[in-house]
Amino acid sequence: MATFPAELNEAEAEPVRRAPSVLSRFLRSRSAVAGTVMLGAWVFVALAAPLLAPYDPTETVALARRPPTAAHWFGTDLLGRDLFSRVLFGSRISLQLGLISVALGALPGIALGLVAGYHAGLVDTLVSRFVDALLAFPSILLALVVIAALGPSIQNVMIAVGVASVPQYARLVRGSVLAIKQLPYVEAARVIGAPSLRVMWRHVLVNAYAPVLVLSTLQIGNAILVGSGLSFLGLGAQPPIPEWGLMSAEGREVLQRAWWISTFPGLAILSVVVASNLLGDGMRSAFDPKMRM
Amino acid sequence: MPASPVDMSRYILGRILQLVPVLWLISTIIFVVMHMLPGDPAELMLAGAEGGAITPERLAELKREMGLDDPLLVQYLRFLANAAVGDLGDSVRFRLPVAELIADRFGSTFALSLCGLAISVAVGVPLGMVGAMRQNSAADTLTMALSYVGASMPVYWLGLLLILFFSFNLGWFPPAGADDWRSLVLPSTTIGLVAAGLIARLVRSSMIEVLREDYIRTGHAKGLSAAAVLWRHGLKNAMIPVITMIGLQFGGMLAGAVVTETVFSRPGVGRLVVNAILAKDYPLVQGCVIFLALVYLSVNLLVDIAYAWLDPRIRYGR
Repeated sequence: MATFPAELNEAEAEPVRRAPSVLSRFLRSRSAVAGTVMLGAWVFVALAAPLLAPYDPTETVALARRPPTAAHWFGTDLLGRDLFSRVLFGSRISLQLGLISVALGALPGIALGLVAGYHAGLVDTLVSRFVDALLAFPSILLALVVIAALGPSIQNVMIAVGVASVPQYARLVRGSVLAIKQLPYVEAARVIGAPSLRVMWRHVLVNAYAPVLVLSTLQIGNAILVGSGLSFLGLGAQPPIPEWGLMSAEGREVLQRAWWISTFPGLAILSVVVASNLLGDGMRSAFDPKMRM
Repeated sequence: MPASPVDMSRYILGRILQLVPVLWLISTIIFVVMHMLPGDPAELMLAGAEGGAITPERLAELKREMGLDDPLLVQYLRFLANAAVGDLGDSVRFRLPVAELIADRFGSTFALSLCGLAISVAVGVPLGMVGAMRQNSAADTLTMALSYVGASMPVYWLGLLLILFFSFNLGWFPPAGADDWRSLVLPSTTIGLVAAGLIARLVRSSMIEVLREDYIRTGHAKGLSAAAVLWRHGLKNAMIPVITMIGLQFGGMLAGAVVTETVFSRPGVGRLVVNAILAKDYPLVQGCVIFLALVYLSVNLLVDIAYAWLDPRIRYGR
């Protein structure tokens, strides 16, 4: 709680309460802090994987399908590769998948939403109808169509998942822009003759960042979930890439005899997605608890 | 207020008409994407769907059958005209009409989604209610943690865990197939539990809002039992947004059965589309995706109609 220094106030003045800042609300949220710590830990693992992993993730280092032991904490897979090392290296693939597909969805989505919201009329109608049609379409189907056209690979999964999230960003940004463009400072910028692009960038977009940031954080987890699902189906990462969805699929045939091959990669996905959801929800509460995604 | 039949008919007709441009746009997007493939689509399809050596005769036959030599605009107009009457073309791999292949498998996907929906409601609604009634208690924290984990879990992984425990360890249910009701238990539990997490969170937040309303206080004040207030006034009002969510979940389950059907080797539309992608059977991919989109849109339409019937303000566009 902040108060004015005594010498600046009248003797009878009440102490002034300031609304807590976004950062202090964020730090007070247990879920936000837990999400940050968990996601931070995974980022560290991804960056330091070559130092942390005891073995090469693509080399056979022991007998196949060995259960967890002191030498191989998560056991070995179908080809005798160390599963712990593969899970650690898998974090690189999954975090890249999350970040790149979020960028691929956010950039065109923000541009579409900004243009539609700022320029009312025909442009808005056309973009909005297009976005509505895509939103009326389950994102997994959209991703499948893209994969069918481009072929199965981890890069194409990033594109597919990114494309599938474009309409969500477009709708979100359009809504924010519609509200912001009515504000006096935007009107003022337009009245003094600032070019549209400058007004959109300097005055509108910078003030619409909060919901975009929250959606992007939640979308990282969702992208990892959908992307690993596509890899599980054989439509994403191809062997010998240590991708968590693909690793779970490899263990499926021997589930009864070697449960660990599918179990540990799935647990890793669960923890990253929980972390991203906790962080996203915490950010939403810190910015504005009533914010709708 | 009960809806007048004229109002409802006008509303339903309007919503159906709104569906037409959306379906057209979706079909067009799918057509365009499927025709952006690099290389000769006929060669790709033959190599993928039939395997082995590609003879020039078979290539020419396929191109003639599918009209691939025609200009793209002609192909597009023919595709739209055929799709409008339910003709989704023929599968390259099965050499059967796509509509027939889908019709054979849709029953399995529908049963899976319906059972999944029942499980998600049976688990999600009570969890959300417990959370709302005992807000910030240990029970609330536990139920919300469970729903959080449920909503963040990879569907295929949960499916594998259930197979491991209930099929291999306990031997209660078969791990794969679609022979009888027992083979439906694990796959529907898988999709049901994942959706239950989302439903629980929505029920909780909706219920907390409703429990703060004046009519709830009035209910308590006039001496109704806590259970009566909760059931008669709380749950009924809190369920309005939840019904929309449940409808969306059902549509999503029908369209998203792709992963679950693969995990449990169930012969549904989802598995058909994945195998079609792997075999480069493009007419089948295109047909399945358009069909699933149509089902998804139809479910949403039914939800909107139900919603308008429950809440007249929507019908009048207020």
